[in-house]
Amino acid sequence: MIENRLTKKILNTLLGNGADFSEIFIQKRAFNNLRLEDSKIENSSSGYELGCGLRLWVGDSTFYAYVDSLEESKLINAAKILSSAINGTSSLKVLDLTETKSSYAIDIKKPPGSIQSDARKDTLELADRSARDFNPAVIQVTSTLSDTAEETYIANSYGSFSSEKIVKIFLAVNVVARRGKDIRTGYKSLARSSGYEAFDLKNPVDLALEASRIAVNMLDAVGAPAGELPVVIGPAFGGVIFHEACGHGLEADAVLKNASVFKDKVGKKIASEIVTAIDDSTLEYRWGSYKFDGEGFPSSRTVLIKDGILQNYIYDLRTSKKLSAKQTGNGRRQSFRNVPFPRMSNTFIDSGDEDPDSIIRSVSRGIYAKEFAGGQVDPATGDFVFGISEGYLIENGKISFPIKDTTIIGNGPEVLKKIEAVGNNLDFAPGFCGKNDQLVSNEVGQPTIKVEKITVGGIKD
Amino acid sequence: MEDKNIKDSKRYKVRGSELIDICKNAALKINKHDVDEFEIFAASSVENEIEIFKGKVETLSFSDSIGVGIRIFKDRSIGYAYTTVLEESSIEDCIRNAVANARITSSEEYNYLPVEEETVYKKKLIDDRALFHEDFLDYSIESKIEMAKKLEILTKSKDARIVDIDSVGYHDSIYETAILNSAGFCDKYKTTTCLIYVSAISKQGGDTSTGDFFGCAREPSRLDLEEIAGKAANRSVSVLGGEKIKSQRADLLLDPVVSAQLLGVVAGCLTADSVQKRKSLFEGKIGQKIFSIGVNVFDDGTLPDGLSSRPFDGEGVIKGKTSMFEDGYLKTYLYNTYTARKDKTRSTGNAVRASYRSTPEVGISNFYMEPSETGFDTLLSEVGSGFYIIDIIGLHSGVNPISGQMSMGAKGIWIENGSFKQPVKEVTIATDILSFCKSIKKIGNDLRFIPASGYIGSPSLLISDIMISGK
Repeated sequence: MIENRLTKKILNTLLGNGADFSEIFIQKRAFNNLRLEDSKIENSSSGYELGCGLRLWVGDSTFYAYVDSLEESKLINAAKILSSAINGTSSLKVLDLTETKSSYAIDIKKPPGSIQSDARKDTLELADRSARDFNPAVIQVTSTLSDTAEETYIANSYGSFSSEKIVKIFLAVNVVARRGKDIRTGYKSLARSSGYEAFDLKNPVDLALEASRIAVNMLDAVGAPAGELPVVIGPAFGGVIFHEACGHGLEADAVLKNASVFKDKVGKKIASEIVTAIDDSTLEYRWGSYKFDGEGFPSSRTVLIKDGILQNYIYDLRTSKKLSAKQTGNGRRQSFRNVPFPRMSNTFIDSGDEDPDSIIRSVSRGIYAKEFAGGQVDPATGDFVFGISEGYLIENGKISFPIKDTTIIGNGPEVLKKIEAVGNNLDFAPGFCGKNDQLVSNEVGQPTIKVEKITVGGIKD
Repeated sequence: MEDKNIKDSKRYKVRGSELIDICKNAALKINKHDVDEFEIFAASSVENEIEIFKGKVETLSFSDSIGVGIRIFKDRSIGYAYTTVLEESSIEDCIRNAVANARITSSEEYNYLPVEEETVYKKKLIDDRALFHEDFLDYSIESKIEMAKKLEILTKSKDARIVDIDSVGYHDSIYETAILNSAGFCDKYKTTTCLIYVSAISKQGGDTSTGDFFGCAREPSRLDLEEIAGKAANRSVSVLGGEKIKSQRADLLLDPVVSAQLLGVVAGCLTADSVQKRKSLFEGKIGQKIFSIGVNVFDDGTLPDGLSSRPFDGEGVIKGKTSMFEDGYLKTYLYNTYTARKDKTRSTGNAVRASYRSTPEVGISNFYMEPSETGFDTLLSEVGSGFYIIDIIGLHSGVNPISGQMSMGAKGIWIENGSFKQPVKEVTIATDILSFCKSIKKIGNDLRFIPASGYIGSPSLLISDIMISGK
């Protein structure tokens, strides 16, 4: 995307006034987005973005700028302006560039460019028909299909560079069902770091049927109970509980700022001994996977908690330097317009050995939380919430009525210790995680787990 | 590094007529294609972001971006494409993509550009002088860094229990927008905005608490650092030692920051788009009494201090003031041109574009509830016993705007006999959107706006009989 000569010139211009580190991040992206609603293709749009982010460090300070162009004169000019923000002299100079290696290697079989517009349209129309035919209570279906083809190039003043081609595909189906005054919704998404071969793995029709099933099921929902109850959290998207209750607090920027409840806890028991949790950006084709992170470091598998003992944090380059730790390949950014910082990739509680059905049977009165609308955490206190979009009452060891959308609230360090059972059915679900106004793709995951008790935000005593 | 090493470098750029020129140039290229109508939307932003940590600049970033989005109308179908690369060949690719996209979308009789006969206002009601403050350009990067540093020190000095400031930052931007369409519309506007925020961590005994606050304005001199520091500190320390309470139904007193977020949920259900697609609880409720008391709610794109004020909306329709609720009755939905034609009415000027990346959807501008004369202390004494909510958590995951269910985390202070008694945390409140509207019993006089997707304002609200879930 850029000549070595120019890369070195920019890196050295950035270093020129006394910087300790310099970096360039080039990104080219082409998007396609199609939306069907009201049984009509409402929106078809395409986008093209190209730009370069420039970063330098002086002491503890980061300076950042970007340009929407790869023209040499504009890049050099931006580098000069950025380095002129500091006063000093530098002895650092980049002479050679060596390519960074990554073990993550995947084949893309059906890239967006190989797909006809009509095929995209057919996919959404089929999903729409399937969702509507499921049940006459279905009154609205919104489905979205997007794909991204991206190329990145990252080089820094350590003399390293990396490049990656990324393809991503996202399909989501939103269903609205109505009976009398009651309106309920169902949502399912499929998101992969792959081409359209993702649909060979999961049929869009199945996704649509699943979204309809949730919406229609929820029409029978009763008010959720209020108060502290045992909660069984289902596999896949249930992993959002770990993501919120613990994951964000393990991101090293929070640790560095004294804003994490897990500071100074490495080597200590922070969860019940049946909990092992991992962040793994090397899982093939997963939504949160990559060859290189947003700083050009290879993806990796990081054990966060082993048998309840905290093993490691999630680092980017800056926080790993500050905390004298090994970076974990988690420096991520939304685009060339953004500064990277530590982010989760695919984060999950690893499989345990209990049978998921027996976990439910062990609860006499509680909640089974199956699908989720996301969550939020305050890493400094560990207080978190997550919204249940498909939940059920458990009565005498059996799943009974569906319950209306409800929020669960808890404290991360406390809840981790109250995990009483971990199933053997690990699964994953994709989503987007927002932090400091930047969205990145993540997967969460877990097997079925049981939490001894947690506050359920229902409406009935 | 000492911050004195950061040199003075004002770094503002105002594009002026450049965006219109870009639109005109693209229009010439579109004219070579077989299309019925077109619209070109160009937008640029120049932004500056500063983050301070322990008295030093942690991050200083500059951005300068521009993009063009093109809508093509052909046989009543619309295609869209955008590009951030403005070279001739990229613009041509963008047009070709938009033309191709118009072949995929469904044809709809109402898909054509706004025409003058169907607009409510003919003349702009607000102009650049209100939206773009020249004084904004006088601030150097150093002075903004100093302001953020001052806010950090001020906040910390407010209470001995504040142990860390985990984030303090300043962000400002100049946005410029131009629209040109084949029906003859061609205009532009520009805005300045700045935002400063701080988050304080406080500790007492074994308990930790966080609290944040912010200010936003058209220029830095309008930011009241004392007030922001005081509120952030207070929001942090006042919930220290908070405990879960027993699950119960109780009256709630909502801080404006909380009530504005909930009013934003109501606003989202009022777009004609969601109503027409049967995704709104307000479907069929025009003329009905939604609030128990005489609430007035407006969407006003002409408020001089409104950060979402604009002379015209995302498709060039002149923006005015729309009365949404009068005396508690629902008066209208929010419309863009397409949804207005469908309902045989006129656009309320609420075509909103998040950026050049997206087509005009329906959304709010400055959306607010009219304050009353009632002071906060009067509200407090009327509560008797109840829960004063300072902050909510999990609004996005806890509110389903279609089904109307609301369940979210809350923290604040328990009120007994009209005075603050005991901090409360780790509880939830649950209701639904229509019940929330009905449950409002009293409105305060302390209207405050928050920037969300739009600019939403609400005074403190006293609401009755809501389920709190705790122990």
